[in-house]
Amino acid sequence: MNRDTGRQVFDALERRLSLLAPARPRLALSGSQVLGQLRNRISRRWPSPVQIQTLFPTLDRRAAERIAWRIGGIEACNRVLVDCIRRAGIGPVRPLIRMSAAALSALRPPLLLGTFHVGAVHALEPALEQLPGPVLALRHGPLHTAAPPLEIVSTEGDEQRRAAVFHRALTHLLQGGGFVVLALDVVPGIGLQVPCLGRTIELARGPFALARLTGAPLVPLVARWRRSGVEVLTGEPLDPRETEPTLDAAVDPTAWESALAAATARWLERYLQGAPAELGLGLLRSLLSSSS
Amino acid sequence: MEMGRAIEDEVRALLRSRTLLAPGPALAEEVRLGAGGLGLDSISLVEVLLDCERRFGLPPLIDLLEGPPLTVGRLIEAVRAAVVEDGRVTR
Repeated sequence: MNRDTGRQVFDALERRLSLLAPARPRLALSGSQVLGQLRNRISRRWPSPVQIQTLFPTLDRRAAERIAWRIGGIEACNRVLVDCIRRAGIGPVRPLIRMSAAALSALRPPLLLGTFHVGAVHALEPALEQLPGPVLALRHGPLHTAAPPLEIVSTEGDEQRRAAVFHRALTHLLQGGGFVVLALDVVPGIGLQVPCLGRTIELARGPFALARLTGAPLVPLVARWRRSGVEVLTGEPLDPRETEPTLDAAVDPTAWESALAAATARWLERYLQGAPAELGLGLLRSLLSSSS
Repeated sequence: MEMGRAIEDEVRALLRSRTLLAPGPALAEEVRLGAGGLGLDSISLVEVLLDCERRFGLPPLIDLLEGPPLTVGRLIEAVRAAVVEDGRVTR
């Protein structure tokens, strides 16, 4: 079987699982994970064990292979999940989400929740529906129309359109006292370059500017695929003064935003070092193409 | 009329500070704030509006971000109109 035929076979099987997902999400998603792992195991590409070892040099060859398989599995799972949400909305995904009530109630608005392209990022929406307050989620191309208290706004468009969305988020935090959820990595527009995993990562500047202008804390939010479904986790509020205690946003806004971006990258690095298989392919490509 | 002129000058000064433009000839009214003009990105565009809102004590100027590209002239006119509506000056 040549490479093209192999790809076609895997694509066809994945499409079948996508069709099954709205009715049997658990079965389709766990099936796609197994399929994705097998695909990576055979192709040894995207990611390859060498690519994994580039970012996680302490892993031996065997461990890097296993991480590569698992990333392949998670990517396939995410593709099927996205297709499922596009076809049937978020309904089939809701029963899969687990987030502790204590963790949810600990989140108090106004609050910025920053996501990364890691793990089950597209499965976060049902968790956002449970937050104790109105939620404005910014997304580059929404997958479906959400229902209150969750509102999803697209960030697609030119700078002026993005400015309108940014202003909306600002008002939501300052006047509405709500939650704003937005991606921190792999996003269009201007970014801040910060070190991560021995390379450089570009994080979106918008979330850090929002934190500065509103004073709202920025908390990392991630989701992991588990056998029983998706586990949603939050981190501690990120602190721009972690390494520079005297920083003052009013005096040097640029340095303050850069310091918050650096603290964010350090959090992401710690998270991925503990769970390297959660690294999404988009983020992996971005890290590998950056300077070391 | 004098107050209207002062508003115009202050808005232009705020724009200059955000774009780090050196003092010089007045910014033409048709110059866009974003791409093809002053080149402000989305965050800087919002910060210019916030500067104006704070400086003149205005309600949110978000409507200016809807519709056609925002120009120096549209911003000055909107600020002037909002101040007039607030009853602090007459045209």
